[in-house]
Amino acid sequence: MKYNLEVNNLTKEYPDFKLNKLNFKLPAGKIIGLIGKNGSGKTTTIKAILNLINYDGQIKIFNEDNHELTKIEREQIGIVLDDSFFSPILNVHDINNLMRHFYHNWNEKQFYKYVKEFKIPTNRSLKEFSNGMKMKVKVICAISHEPKLLILDEPTNGLDPIFRYEILDMFSKFVSNNTNSILITTHITSDLEHIADEIIFMDEGKIILDTKKEVIDNSYGLVELPKTDLSTINKNAYSKILQYKDTCLLLIMDKTKFMEEYPHLNIRKPSLEELMLLIVKGV
Amino acid sequence: MNTIKGLMLKDLYVFKNYKKNIYFSIIVFAFIIAMASIRINVLVYGSIIFLFFFGMNSISTFSYDENSEIDKYLLSLPITRKEIVFSKYLFTFLNSFLSLIFGFILSLIISLLVTHEINSFFNSLKICFLAFTSVSFLMCADIPCIYKWGVEKGRMQSVLVPILIFFLLSFLSFIILLIFPNLYNLITLDKLLSIAPILCLILNIFFYYLSFHISYKIFSKKSI
Repeated sequence: MKYNLEVNNLTKEYPDFKLNKLNFKLPAGKIIGLIGKNGSGKTTTIKAILNLINYDGQIKIFNEDNHELTKIEREQIGIVLDDSFFSPILNVHDINNLMRHFYHNWNEKQFYKYVKEFKIPTNRSLKEFSNGMKMKVKVICAISHEPKLLILDEPTNGLDPIFRYEILDMFSKFVSNNTNSILITTHITSDLEHIADEIIFMDEGKIILDTKKEVIDNSYGLVELPKTDLSTINKNAYSKILQYKDTCLLLIMDKTKFMEEYPHLNIRKPSLEELMLLIVKGV
Repeated sequence: MNTIKGLMLKDLYVFKNYKKNIYFSIIVFAFIIAMASIRINVLVYGSIIFLFFFGMNSISTFSYDENSEIDKYLLSLPITRKEIVFSKYLFTFLNSFLSLIFGFILSLIISLLVTHEINSFFNSLKICFLAFTSVSFLMCADIPCIYKWGVEKGRMQSVLVPILIFFLLSFLSFIILLIFPNLYNLITLDKLLSIAPILCLILNIFFYYLSFHISYKIFSKKSI
């Protein structure tokens, strides 16, 4: 299998935080969603991939160590960073002017096509834009030079549901050629429900769940029942439990087996948010 | 080279944010030069006003970069740390140099229009180049401080470091003159002016070369 991104034993230590031996691979044609609460290490992982920080371990992009990527290889990466972009005094024309100096294969025609499509004002500076509008410009910049790998840090932040849908659709089309890939971090886990092929869940600098989306869809289950009924369930039948005042939520890893044992209980597919909650807060 | 051009263009766009102030300042300075040209050699004073007022403006581009955290974004694009630092120095140099040239030409025109004569053209030019070297010294001392501490946090250091270097060099000169008192008679203003072009060239190359390497070393080790 061809991988566009490989992260091996990625470790980064700060005085109050440690990214601990992260391993994952992003195959061509796939989308990996990196989820986790604030401070879980998602952005540090992105920074290491982009070589913005020193780290231990190895990161390969297009089968090359990321320290040794040539400019041509780096041109094949598209970036959206949540907290960093051009100065807010620039307008869309200025940004286009700059980007064509930075990318040989900058596609001006495509850039303006997206600008028109997403109704971005061309004569106003970024400081006059809403957060969502700014994010649109960032996303357009990331995809207007025909990259093969998109690394997106919170790309749906501040976007309205309609544009989120459009942009997620665009991402799905982007990987449909089976050559391109996307690594995406987001707080809005519902975005990943529709597009991600693999979900990596991080907590306190560690990967605590790395699974294919289809496994979550087909094997994982969620059962909600009154606390009084909990004694009727074998403890080995569920992997995590979250207790509320009168009810409790059970995370089931093998829903087929569970349904055979407890056919009278209603089992449903967990959302990524519920999964995240149960893994972090459940016991 | 295309990348360097792009990075310099990014810095140039910062200036468009206060282009009205720039135009207004040019008019005000032109008026002051015209008034002063009756009494003093405005070729020197006019040029120096422009050099100090506009030539040191490139520091403001660091501030804009810091506020938008653009370095993180730029380094994610196919741009190297060396290109970012190099473009800053090239921009700083060109900005100061063009400010001086613009100030000099404007002062020359005003002087010709008002007094219909030019006093000591070449000596004025030489003094301007010495002033330009002083600005280069200030900028080259400031930029590594900005890379080390940032514009906001390094405000104090940006003031103190050039002063400290200046006092150290002055102290060194004082010691040298104590040891070799004859040098005092050898270095006169006329002699200094006669070698000014070559002296300025050597000092500018030295300041920019040294400062660039210090800044690049700091920036290459920096986690963004």
